[in-house]
Amino acid sequence: MFKLSKLIEKLLLSIVLVAITGVAFAHGERNQEPFLRMKTLHWYDVKWSVDNGSTIKVNDEVTLTGKVHFFSSWPEAINKPDTIFLANATPGPVFLRKASYLNDVPMIQSTSVDLGRTYEFKVILKARIPGRHHVHPMVNVESAGGLVGPGIWVTIDGDADDFVYSVTTRTGLVIENLGSYAVQNVVNWHIIWALIATFWLFWWIKRPMLVERYLKVKAGSWNELHTKNDKLLALFMIGFIIGLLIYANNVTRDAYPRTIPLQAGKVDVIALPIHNDGLGIARVKEGRNNALVVVRNKKAEYFLPGRTVTVVAEITNNSTLPIQLGEFTAANIRFINHDVEFAMKGVDEGYPDELVADQSLQVSDNTPIQPGETRTIKIDATDVAWETERLSSLLNDPDSSYGALLFFFDSEGNRMISEVAGQILPTFID
Amino acid sequence: MSLTAPEKKLLKAITTKGSAAAKIVRQLDLIVVGILFFAIIAAFHIHIMLTVGDWDFWVDWKDRKNWVTLTPMLLIFIPAALSYPFMQRFGLPIAGTLCALCLVIGEWVSRIVGFHMWTYFPYSMIWPSIAIPGLMLMDLVLMLSRNALVTSIFGGSAVALAFAPANWPILAPYHLPVVHIDQVVSVADLIGYSFTRTATPEYLRIIERGTLRTFGGESTLISTFFSAFVCMVLFFIWWKIGEWVTNLGTVPNRFKSMVGYSEEEDDEDAKETV
Amino acid sequence: MAATQEGLASSKSVEGWKLNLKPMFLGMLVLIAIFGTARWYQQWAAWDYGLDATDPMFDTYWMTVLWAEIIVEVTLFIVFVTYFWVTRDKHLNELTPRKEINRMIHWISMLAVYAFAFYFAGSFYAEQDATWHQTVVRDTSFTPSHIFLFYMAMPVFIIIGFSLFTYAITRLPVFAKRISLPLVLTVCGPFMLLPTVGYNEWGHAFWLMEEYFTVPLHWGFVFFGWSILALAGLLNQLVKRMILIMPLVVDEQGNLTS
Repeated sequence: MFKLSKLIEKLLLSIVLVAITGVAFAHGERNQEPFLRMKTLHWYDVKWSVDNGSTIKVNDEVTLTGKVHFFSSWPEAINKPDTIFLANATPGPVFLRKASYLNDVPMIQSTSVDLGRTYEFKVILKARIPGRHHVHPMVNVESAGGLVGPGIWVTIDGDADDFVYSVTTRTGLVIENLGSYAVQNVVNWHIIWALIATFWLFWWIKRPMLVERYLKVKAGSWNELHTKNDKLLALFMIGFIIGLLIYANNVTRDAYPRTIPLQAGKVDVIALPIHNDGLGIARVKEGRNNALVVVRNKKAEYFLPGRTVTVVAEITNNSTLPIQLGEFTAANIRFINHDVEFAMKGVDEGYPDELVADQSLQVSDNTPIQPGETRTIKIDATDVAWETERLSSLLNDPDSSYGALLFFFDSEGNRMISEVAGQILPTFID
Repeated sequence: MSLTAPEKKLLKAITTKGSAAAKIVRQLDLIVVGILFFAIIAAFHIHIMLTVGDWDFWVDWKDRKNWVTLTPMLLIFIPAALSYPFMQRFGLPIAGTLCALCLVIGEWVSRIVGFHMWTYFPYSMIWPSIAIPGLMLMDLVLMLSRNALVTSIFGGSAVALAFAPANWPILAPYHLPVVHIDQVVSVADLIGYSFTRTATPEYLRIIERGTLRTFGGESTLISTFFSAFVCMVLFFIWWKIGEWVTNLGTVPNRFKSMVGYSEEEDDEDAKETV
Repeated sequence: MAATQEGLASSKSVEGWKLNLKPMFLGMLVLIAIFGTARWYQQWAAWDYGLDATDPMFDTYWMTVLWAEIIVEVTLFIVFVTYFWVTRDKHLNELTPRKEINRMIHWISMLAVYAFAFYFAGSFYAEQDATWHQTVVRDTSFTPSHIFLFYMAMPVFIIIGFSLFTYAITRLPVFAKRISLPLVLTVCGPFMLLPTVGYNEWGHAFWLMEEYFTVPLHWGFVFFGWSILALAGLLNQLVKRMILIMPLVVDEQGNLTS
């Protein structure tokens, strides 16, 4: 009895373990490991051409714009972004991707980007399948999968059958609807070949098959198994099949004399300039004393019960105006300093609420940092978002490190962005 | 090999039109046709989908190199192996044809119900390739030659040689050039770009990327002939595997005493391998 | 039409040949009901509640289904296999050839139900898996596609296979006297799918994060597909057995004599 209860206990534990590990091994939007989400892509200035929660019609367009920064302290676990693809995280082709650009370079093909650099993206989508969909920009990075930006909800209204996407080829052919182009031809050929195959099968199935033929094979009666008619038919079928293939290809060559193979070259794109003056970002791996704002991570902790991340950082202001920390952003969550007006203005109305914590950024010394001053400040970012976005599972991470962007604003509203990264320590005691 | 007396009697019995014996074996035939139909769809389809499936799913994976080279090689495994029992036991030259037809039925059902109805991909993007002509030619060569070596050379190679010609008539319209956002792409590329596969980006396509030499655009021919040579070898190997599996036979059953057989009793007929 | 055997003192009548395919059709209908319902469920619940595994609604709509499936399947497996074993024919050595033929044909018709389940596991739900995972961001091992493929279609297929195996070795002389290797491979081999699922999930978590089908972590399933070759071997054995026992129950004109 004791042995049985021990067995049951082990069984239950293994079921529970499977359940937990099934979740912990996951790697999607929220179930990607925190170090992965905080030290790869940072998305900012993201704008959608429609409002969060709005309803649009089939065939309407939605444009996503903004900036994406490739963190310089990139995780070792995944490949460098030498092969990436600009995409959109929507539930598959519920939107059609009409165009995409990275720093104005068209992105039908894949490209490569540099670490520590920022790129402007633009993705134009066309509504296709009715329903309520989450729409994010995304970059696929080879070996890492899709790294997803912030998303809004858009409802598509109407009839999917009304969707139309027309294209004109270089040879002058107008394709009325890309989704159904040349499909009838595909179906026709499949039917033709299926009928031929069915005929051949039927030729044999209509006769006794198993027991009789087994006995005849055993008796060696091959002339009964394959009669003269069967052989003639087989010869005819060979000729017919080969003839049909030749005919079909001749007709096709005449109908489509100019074709090209699949295109698969990479495109080149140049990053935005490096300055931390709002266009570029000062990188953690550079001791850039000539950057306008230099940030050095001193210590970082996360306090699990209180859902707080605390970063102690040394800030040096090399600009000519006083600056304040306005925003701390990591893994698409934006912690805004309520007391910095320019930072509050930087949050668009309609930006996904669940990703903005505008009451929750505390800076130990919020007074402006003067030009030339170096000050060590303690930054507290507290919000339930750490938990809902599952970033508190840092405890399960084999790499306990963090990465974030700090947005500083000077007294004239100019923005300077710096990376900050380092080890992060778990704290359970207040 | 000749028939024993009971076998001769049975042959007479089942060839008597309308007899109970004829009915029994005919019903057995039809049930087995049903079994084979579903089982072959399942087995051949899962084999193909997990080896060369990606090329088959998407129009923008159907290139001149990997698709044309690999698909025939993988297509030949199961039909070649099944050719052995079908032909050597039952004299039926239908393994390749049956496999090809079953495959295309399974694929179409999945593309319609799964790819289109569930995840909304358009048919221009997800149509399956045609495998029937090559595999039929393989059957026909086997029937006329009744020789595994001859079939390897002419039938095996036919699977590859017929593949590109069978599919070009349906693929050609998708290889017209288009200029989209200042880039030249084929219609197939544009379809792949336009209809988002969230987790399957462009760079994942295992296709011809910057061929070193195209020999005047003959990439497809080169891929085809290479594939044909490999198919010749593969046909023979899988024919032999089919032979082995068909003749696997039996092993002793330790539990037979629990159903009434004594330990000494054995089944000589089952032990004998043909 | 009953025919009396010549020379026998008793007026024993011969049972005419009547093929009862009702169990086969019933089995197929049950499978259509199960798999059809699952597919209908996926059509809406996958999109509405299946995209984010961290959402509590995912637990409600998907994880409960998963746990229910596992409990039901394990129970059914134990019940069916035990039932067929416990009710085995303990006097198989006394089985008449006619009864053997009846049973064999019946068993072969149920093999059609097995093949039908194989179709759903190996073709229908399997290729759907591609389109689901190549479309959405995978964030759990228990995706809406997997819950019906690995944890329903494949177990159902395995339950039917093991039931058929147990029936065969307890009621059919051809499979009871000696264990047929093709039979084991055909109906029990698919059990090896389950460890393959583990290998697959390990691969998706630790090895490859990109979503395409032609990767080594999937190739365990390809081996499973090759069990069809064993089906050919099985048919070979069945036909050989039919040829051995049919002459005992029919005369030269093809009439049943017992």
